[in-house]
Amino acid sequence: MTTELRKLNNREEVVLVPPVDIYETGEAYILKCEMPGVDRENIDVTLNNHELEINGRVSAEYAGDAGTVYSEYRLHNFSRKFTVDDSINTGAIQATLYNGILSITLPKSEKVKPRKIEIAMEK
Amino acid sequence: MYNRYDIFDDLLGLKGEIEKFFTDNPQPGRRYDHPYVNVYESGDSIQVRALVPGVKPEDVDIQLVDNNLVIEGEKKSDYSERPYIRKERSFGRFKKSIRMPFRVDPGRINATIKNGILTVALVKSEDAKPRKITIG
Repeated sequence: MTTELRKLNNREEVVLVPPVDIYETGEAYILKCEMPGVDRENIDVTLNNHELEINGRVSAEYAGDAGTVYSEYRLHNFSRKFTVDDSINTGAIQATLYNGILSITLPKSEKVKPRKIEIAMEK
Repeated sequence: MYNRYDIFDDLLGLKGEIEKFFTDNPQPGRRYDHPYVNVYESGDSIQVRALVPGVKPEDVDIQLVDNNLVIEGEKKSDYSERPYIRKERSFGRFKKSIRMPFRVDPGRINATIKNGILTVALVKSEDAKPRKITIG
């Protein structure tokens, strides 16, 4: 029993939930996510069945704790999921990484974008 | 002398426990000032790594004051005027002082920011190293 529990425990990898800001513009939803210590090529952003998943693997140089003499944090891989609805134009999602901040732009699909309504001339 | 067991003693003891909960100072949690730092040592060199996601290199000021490494700076807000759906990140000025485990060479301090991690590399100062004294 205990060995099974231990096995289960080992399988459960510790992940960090990165803090996120999300705001909305007329054209898109912008998501900003803090993931320090993650290289661009180690970030995975996937959209699958209305589920936006962000995964980031911390670089080996920051993950180890060899030689630690004082510690206030431990870095682990980052993971977070969001549910998105049909209003996202899934084909045009863009992501950039700058200084540990992952920015994701989720453009709104045409049907939910704000639209200016022309007023017809009076006849 | 033996104490006689009385169930009411336990009850009164519980009252004491509850009172202690309200009167004692709560255990200060592991709250540290921003930015969080780790210090690594290997041989004669020290590495200080601080988590500074979103902080630009030009907004950080590092000083060595009396063998304390002082990291000061500002995480500038990137808030927009748009309506927010979720707001979890924080911004603002920070200042933190970290005591070095040994005297460091003020002339050989290197700092870089990569992927939101500030790494400051310091080297043990020559006069902090052990010196063999020959008996004349």
